[in-house]
Amino acid sequence: MITYIGLENIISPLGITAEENFNQIKQGNTSINYHRGIGFGHENIFLSKLKNTPSFYELLSQCLQAVIKGTEDELILSKDTIVIISTTKADIKENITTPIIAAIKKLTKEFQLQQQPIVISNACISGVLAMNTANNFIKAGIYKNAFVIGADVVSDFVLYGFQSLYAISDKPCQPFDKNRTGISLGEGAGGVFMSSDKNVFKSTCFEFVEGTSSNDANHISGPSRTGEGLVRTVNNSLALAQLKPSAIDFISAHGTGTSFNDEMEAIAFSRLGMNTIPLNSLKGYFGHTLGAAGLIETAICLQSLRNNLLIKTLGFEEDGASEKINITTQNITTEVTTILKTASGFGGCNASAIIRKLK
Amino acid sequence: MNYITTYCHIALNNCYVNGKLTHSFNSNSIDDFTKEFYKSLILEYPKFHKMDRLAKTAFLGTEVLKKECPEILNYKDDEIAILFSNNNSSALTDVNFQTSYQNGGVPSPSLFVYTLPNILIGEIAIRNKWYGENMFTVAEHFDAEYFVNYCNVLLHKNAAAALCGWLTIDDNKIEAFLFFVTKKDFNELNLPLESKQLIELYTKN
Repeated sequence: MITYIGLENIISPLGITAEENFNQIKQGNTSINYHRGIGFGHENIFLSKLKNTPSFYELLSQCLQAVIKGTEDELILSKDTIVIISTTKADIKENITTPIIAAIKKLTKEFQLQQQPIVISNACISGVLAMNTANNFIKAGIYKNAFVIGADVVSDFVLYGFQSLYAISDKPCQPFDKNRTGISLGEGAGGVFMSSDKNVFKSTCFEFVEGTSSNDANHISGPSRTGEGLVRTVNNSLALAQLKPSAIDFISAHGTGTSFNDEMEAIAFSRLGMNTIPLNSLKGYFGHTLGAAGLIETAICLQSLRNNLLIKTLGFEEDGASEKINITTQNITTEVTTILKTASGFGGCNASAIIRKLK
Repeated sequence: MNYITTYCHIALNNCYVNGKLTHSFNSNSIDDFTKEFYKSLILEYPKFHKMDRLAKTAFLGTEVLKKECPEILNYKDDEIAILFSNNNSSALTDVNFQTSYQNGGVPSPSLFVYTLPNILIGEIAIRNKWYGENMFTVAEHFDAEYFVNYCNVLLHKNAAAALCGWLTIDDNKIEAFLFFVTKKDFNELNLPLESKQLIELYTKN
């Protein structure tokens, strides 16, 4: 059984389709801007914010609608179709005591979904985990199709929280750079469609080969110093895919721009013997979109496969980790076949997924 | 065939394991109850006291299940998947964190780190050095079909067992249902992992 993936969509300040977003970042444009006085204590903050401040529900519904357009109309109404949603804080701005469920009920009704959507809230790996879950259900024959949508909005709640951890960068974030000082938050949505049938995609699709997750079992808010969980999930995904590390052409890393996270990733990829494989972080373009990040970044990976173009790591100038890895400093035109996507998050969680062109 | 090898229910002042009352307390509050419960297990794990109510409850349930079914400890460190679910994410701690920065206060970093529901999975992973699959889901009601389907999927793939739980935790409520799913029926409860069976166990107490 093969799981196919495609029909990617991104809603960000850079555009409302994956193509628009890819064209913007290809030119080095970022959605991270300076916002005066919006932080706790009226601090000035760099972050990526949508102009019309949509609600979580609006983002989710707009992104799902866009992905649906690429398939046959009746698929979303099928009992064989599951919608999997990825988010961290969802509609916390409107609904702090009973989050998420009201928006999901509304979505189920509006799109006449036959199956109750599955909502994954697993910190910053939620998006990659949501695709892994879709792949697992499809390969097991439980569902044939999955719409996987991730969304998160910027809120005082999350911004103040990261400020309290001293984890917000005083410049636009600089993933893997020597002078990195933290994250820049972002908001938006990302979506993909996955299916056991390649004929239901109206455009070129790819193979979602395998994906797994692993916990560091080390600390709830700091990544493992050895990158243990990330090493394990990548090894597990490669083993299930029956691939060697050398089969990977490109790594779309997590790269938040915090000192500890980026160091952990560099150590993990070095331990994996993957330090010469071109690798990027996209946080410099979109900010850290939390529950949407895995899907937005995977959508860009699919665009890279379509265009044979690897994107440079915006904000990265000088190596800043104890292990040398091959971070992209310019866009690279090259034949790309197989991509590894990774994510790591609070709670010690790590996830990885392998996607490749169809043979 | 996979089995519900052991299960427990936690509610204020009581814990039932495999349907039998095993722990009973006379605490006047939820916080006292979790403290008394922790003390009675003689664990010497001071990190427990830093956890939020959601993580404490999941932690206590897991310890009780381990005692009842020590065979769980024989699995390799990455063979146990941890799947938890509830209907309000980390709402209780979210409200506490929001309160910390309102009315002249400053945002509390120690509360903020618990404003993600999967932190409880991290706490259990750290305690037991379990490196397996993790997933926290939010659903309107206890979704037996999800647990059955996804446990079957993972036990067929890269897990040998799954620790599962559904938690109802808020300001004045504590209820938890935890269960271990394994390929071998260690405790010979003869409870095959099926939706009907799981719903029956869930509603038992």
